[in-house]
Order: sequence, then structure tokens, then C-alpha cells
Amino acid sequence: MGILSASNGQRASTARDFLSDFSTVLVVIALFLFFGFTSQRFFLVDNIFNIMKQMSIVGVAAIGMTMVVLIGGIDLSIGSVALLSSGITGTLIANYGWNTWAAIGVGLLAACAVGVVNGFFVEKLMISPVIVTLGTLIAIRGLGQKVLWINNSWVEVKDPVFDYVAIEKVWFLPLIAALMFGLYIVAAILLKQTRLGRYIYAIGGNQRAAQLSGLPVVRIKMLVYILCSFTAGIAGLLTASRTGVVNPTLGQGLEFDVVTAVVLGGASLAGGIGRVEKTLLGTAILVMVLNYLTLRGVPGVWQTAVTGFLVLAAVILDRLVRRRVA
Amino acid sequence: MVTEPTTVKSSANAAYPTQDRPILEMIGITKRFPGVLALDQVNFSVSRGEIHSLIGQNGAGKSTLMNILSGVYTPDQGEIIVDGQPVAMTHPREALRLGIGTVYQELSLVPKLSVADNIYLGREAERGFIINEHSVASRAREVIERLGVRDIDVGTLVGELSLAQQQLVEIAKVLSYNPRILVLDEPTAPLVQEDTDRLFWLLDGLKSQGIAIVFISHRFKEIIQHCDRGTILRNGKLIKTIDLHGITEEALAESMIGQQLESFYRHNSHTEGSQAGIALEVEGLSVGRKVRDVSFQLQRGEIVGITGLLGAGQNEVARALFGVQNEVSGVIRRAGRPVFIGSPQDAIKQGICLLTENRKREGLFLDMSVKENMTLPSLKSFSRLGAFVNNGKEGQWARRFIDRMNIVVRSPSSRVRTLSGGNQQKAILARWLMRDLEVLIFIEPTRGIDVGAKAEIYSDLDTLAAEGKSILVVSTELPEVLGISDRILVMYNGRLSRVIERAEASEEILLAAIQGDTGGSGETPHGR
Repeated sequence: MGILSASNGQRASTARDFLSDFSTVLVVIALFLFFGFTSQRFFLVDNIFNIMKQMSIVGVAAIGMTMVVLIGGIDLSIGSVALLSSGITGTLIANYGWNTWAAIGVGLLAACAVGVVNGFFVEKLMISPVIVTLGTLIAIRGLGQKVLWINNSWVEVKDPVFDYVAIEKVWFLPLIAALMFGLYIVAAILLKQTRLGRYIYAIGGNQRAAQLSGLPVVRIKMLVYILCSFTAGIAGLLTASRTGVVNPTLGQGLEFDVVTAVVLGGASLAGGIGRVEKTLLGTAILVMVLNYLTLRGVPGVWQTAVTGFLVLAAVILDRLVRRRVA
Repeated sequence: MVTEPTTVKSSANAAYPTQDRPILEMIGITKRFPGVLALDQVNFSVSRGEIHSLIGQNGAGKSTLMNILSGVYTPDQGEIIVDGQPVAMTHPREALRLGIGTVYQELSLVPKLSVADNIYLGREAERGFIINEHSVASRAREVIERLGVRDIDVGTLVGELSLAQQQLVEIAKVLSYNPRILVLDEPTAPLVQEDTDRLFWLLDGLKSQGIAIVFISHRFKEIIQHCDRGTILRNGKLIKTIDLHGITEEALAESMIGQQLESFYRHNSHTEGSQAGIALEVEGLSVGRKVRDVSFQLQRGEIVGITGLLGAGQNEVARALFGVQNEVSGVIRRAGRPVFIGSPQDAIKQGICLLTENRKREGLFLDMSVKENMTLPSLKSFSRLGAFVNNGKEGQWARRFIDRMNIVVRSPSSRVRTLSGGNQQKAILARWLMRDLEVLIFIEPTRGIDVGAKAEIYSDLDTLAAEGKSILVVSTELPEVLGISDRILVMYNGRLSRVIERAEASEEILLAAIQGDTGGSGETPHGR
């Protein structure tokens, strides 16, 4: 059978990959054109820039989330981690006059520390990631708000670096979006070209087999939770840079947008399947839809509902494509 | 328990007269998948009251034919005639309605529901939504009894039953639909001899009730012993349909493969000059209550078989040596030095690897490519700066081992999911050969793979031993253990009960030994 079934399966899987990859790209292009031709303001340069800037925050956090989802986990605490990192960094700069880079470093370290806690509880104590990260979601938001109390519960970030990131352009791209694209390139290389990336897919695909192949499974999974908190921390700093303030609600609900983007990008919540490039496309779909709804004057509550339906639609579409080709 | 199982088939044969018109005819069945002709003008027919075996290597088209029969696939061409009526089946439900019941290899039972609830899952309600538990239980009891089974209580949770019992429940579930044709896909693969005998005893009973049985298995012995006719498929084509009475295993194997079977098992012994040296030494190994005080040595270049009844502790010994078993005590020495093995990483560092019996769950990464599956533990040596995978080098090595192991695959980047069982097993074997470790431990290395791949794996083991590797093979298949081992360790009830040298081993001795016969010595032997 070997030859027969091998060629058959090979062809089918290539076709499936192609179709499902291509379908996401197609959806992005179709939405882009449709939105552009049904709204006068959608194609305006300022609006396109706005979309890119909005994408950057969800997009950066979605990098880490994609990796966590790839190992079959989930991290709900990212919104709180964004608050913690930006709160600490902002406070250190505004209240203590720290050097910007040192403050950023400490903020991101604090974010990573949350990743260590998440990873420890999930992998060493074997508690479900939903429960653990729901816990840290609440606890870390509290901690982040406590940090902000030092300065009347919110911090204004008046810092040249933060302003520069918010305003500057590289070539034709907003710097903040360029940063996001840069991080995506790094992440894509990490997942596709490094040992760590291969191990992540292996663990997500079959954790037991990965263990029996001698991979340090627990250590790798903890590292992935840390990476996820790290990108969430960066997302927090980018938010602070865009808005110029850190207030107690910064990052609230970020996890919903980010998980939506990852699912729209076709990653399997069961682990092992997903690609960071497609998460970027998922982010683009989500942000374009929300932007369009805002342009059309649709109230925020309805936007939330639409986001929810998007996730369901993505799952159904994915299943249809898979079935047709398989 | 059931009444005395019998393996005599002639008596059951006579019980139901085979009628002229087959209950099922499949004529000129052709099924094409993208790029491949899975079935090419295949004819197949089954009569009432016969056990008809579908025979072929993995990928010969057995599963495709079976899936067409059970309504999972629709044929591109051809006719299916049930009881004289042409039928078109586009869904498994329709097959069931037509009286074709299929027992798949992967059981579909819910462990946390009772036997009765499993049998009538989705069909509990007789009126509205209210489940009448008594009626479900009594109907389930009827089906189970019709099967001739007495030792399964319908109130038991399925998760608490043995695998063999679960399989009987699955058969009962299918029987509850009153099928006229019963299709069984490798039902005996996970069973020990005793349960296999019982299964056939039950099948003979069903056969005498006039049910036509289609039976798929890789074990020629039971096919010849228990089946009436056989249809042989090769590469999607019908080779022939034959009467199985009085045919030999070799003849069957040869017509299945389409060529002469030469030395199927190896015959050369590897440790005649005993200057080899000890590669692995185990002293007083215990694993919880499952393994007690096992000691043995493994020489360089030697193949040692460990056998015993299912659950006698042999699997736990193998797993303990790879660091994936809890509650392990005792001393393990590698090349004379005591070593601690607490995880697979420790074991690999000591040059020990393990292939488990559970290919899908513990071996394969189904969504990854063949190449990626093969190189995973060796990835470090294919990396630049320790981190970046060197794709060129990785591909080269993958191709080298695909050639060496004769793995049939279109390209190294094909998904491992698309390979046949035998080729998947060879890929996992290649995974460890690439790592080039000294001690190779295999649990049931040829389970569920076709005879051609089996022969290749045996010859691979032979070559490896000749190269000086030390090999430990855990297997419950006695002919396999006999065929490949230089020395056989027999376990009984968690203890090493007997060590048999190759020269004095026979199937009879082994059969007695796994049932606890110590060959007269009476005391716990130490493996050399």
C-alpha cells in the first residue's frame, strides 16, 4: 500500500494546506476591498495607519498566545500582564525618574515573572491553564492597580522614547507597526527554523511522544508561558506609548481579542497546529472588522457581539474547508 | 464465564447450511482517491453462516473495501447487492439499516458509562425523552447473552472492563442492531490467545445463527484455523478468493505478498564468542507491585526476548529501564557502572532508547512530516549554533534512513499520518537508529503491521545486533520471540520465572513457561 497511500495522502495534505492558507489571505483581501468600497473613510491613509496601529497591540500579544496555544495551553492573564509591565515602567519613569530603558527592562522582567508563575502552576502542579491564568488575570490586575496607586491610580507617560514610538514612521509604516512586523519575523523564524520551534510543535502534537523522545517537555512549556507573558508585556508598553497614559483598565479584555485573532488565524486550541503568520492575518481580520464597524457608527456593544460571531464563523469555515479537501 | 470455548470449526460449519445466493455481493468495485487507485474492479461476496477473511498487506485496499461496505465511502464504480437487492449506501446509518454492522479497530465506547448505556447510547428513549433504565438494562442483557457472554454485568462501567471485555461490548453494541453481516476490523490484534479463542467461539455461535462475518486480521494462524474462505487483495486488486480449509500459512503469506517468503526470521546467533561484554545489567528490579526482583544481563550484540502473559510485568520492566515508570527500585548498570534513570532524558544519556507498543499515542507526531518525526531526538546534531535547524543536513539524514529502512514514502516532508502502519513503525525505529544508541528496547515492535514490514524489521534487528547493539524485545507473540531471540526471559506474575536459551526453546516450552511452569528448577532464576 505504501506507495499508493503515501502519494494520496501527500497530495491531499498539500492541497489542504494550500487551501486553508490561501483562504485566510483571501478573506483578508475580500474584507479589505469590501470595507473600502462600502465606506468612504476606510481607504484613507490615516485610517489605514490607524488599523496598523490598532493591530500592533493585539498582534504582538497574539505572538505569545499562538505559541501557548500551539503547546495546547491558553493564557488568559495577558491583559493584566500588559497593565503590570506598563504600570511598573510608567511609574518608574514618572515618579522615580528612572532611565527609560532600565524602566522598560524592569517592566518586562515583571511580565516574565508572571509567566514563570503561570508555567509553574500549569506544568509543575498540573493545574488547568484556564484556572491558573484566570487566577493570575485577577491577581495581577490587582497588583498592577496597586502599583498605579503610588501615583493617584494612573500615570502619564511623558517620555521621548514612548512618544517617538507612537509618532515616528519607518519608510511608510508607523514605527509601532514596524515593530510588530519585526517581532513576527523573529517569531516565524523561531517557530520554523529553530529547535525550540520544532519542539513546540512536537509537544503540542503529541506531548507523550515528545516526552518519550527525550525532550525536556516541562521546561519548554514553562518557557512558552514566559514568552507569552513577555509579548503581553510589550503589548502593554505599546499601549502606553499610543495613549500616553497608563490607567487601571489598560489591557482589560485584551485576552478576548488576542484569542479571537489566534483562532481566526486557524490555530487549533487542541495544540500542535497553527502558524504565527496566519495569526497576523487573523489579527488583521479582527481589527479591520472592528474599525469598519466604528466607521459605520455601530455601537461598541454590537462590536463585541460581532467579535464573538467572528470566532464562531472562523471555526465553522475552517471545518468546512478541511472537510471539502479531506 | 462462557462455557468451554472450542476451536473446532467443522461442527459450527454444519450448523447453518450455506445458501446459494450470497447475502452480500460487491461487483466491480472501484474507488479512486486523488492520485491513487485504491480499489480496482474488486469483486467480493459473503454468504450466510460463513466467516470470510479479507487478507492483504497494510494498504492493499482492505480498509477501503471495508469502509465502502460500512457506508463510510461511496464507490466510484461498481455495484453492491444485499440479499439480491442493489443498494446505494451513502452513510454508515444506511449500512446499519441494511443489516451491515461494523466493529472498528478503535473502539467507540464511553468509559464512564455503563455497559448497557454504551450499547444503547443515543437510542435509550422509547417514549419521549425519559430513559427507562430497566428496559435499557434488560435489552442490553439480552444482547450480551445472545453473544454467549456471562461474565459481563451490564451495570458495570465500561472503563472498568478489560480490553477484551470492552471489545465484546462493542460487538454486542453492533449486534443490537440485528445485523445480517458483521464486519470486524482486526478484532484480535490487542487480544491474548485465551481471549482470541473465546472471540472465535462467539463468532462461531453467531455464524450458526446465520450471520455472515467479514473478518480482518494479520494473523495467518487464526485465519486458517477459524475462517472459511478468504479474499486476497494486493495493491487494490483482487488476487483471488480461496477456500481456507487445509491451506498452509506460507502459501497464504506468499499469495498475499506475491513473492516467495524466504528466511522470515533470522537464524544466526550473535553471542557465540562470549567475549562480547555486558552492555546492561539489571539487579533486583522492582516496579510497585507489578514487577518483583527481576535480574538479568544483556550482552553486547545480543537480542534478548522478554515474554509472558499480558500484564505479567514485562512491559513495566522495559519502561522502567527508560525512566517512564514510577516506584522503581533496584540497580541498573550500564557497562559495569550503576546509573540512575529517572526520565527518558537520563536513559538516552545512558545510550538507552525505547519503542513502545502504542505507536499512535506514544510514538508518532501525526501532523508532522516523516522527516521531522525521524530527526526529533537528534535535532541538536543538525543545528547551527545549537539553535537553528540545518534543513539541508536534516533532509540528507532523513533520506539516508528512508533508503536504509526501505520506508515507502513520496518525500521526506510527507506527513507521517499518510504512511501505512509498517512504514510508520520503521520511521520511529529510524528515529532511534539515527541517534545511534547502544541499547535498544522494543515493546511489541511488530504489532499491527503487515507481514512484509515485519520481515524487514526482523532483519533490521538482526543487522543491528550484528553491529554490536544490544536489543531487548518485549513481545507476547511467541513465534516472534522464538524467531528473533538469542535468549528468552519469561515473566510470570511480576517475576522472572524462567530463562530459556535459544537452542532449547520451542513454542511448547514457551507456552508452558508463560503459564508459570518453571521447568523444574522451582527457584527464581537470574538471567545469566
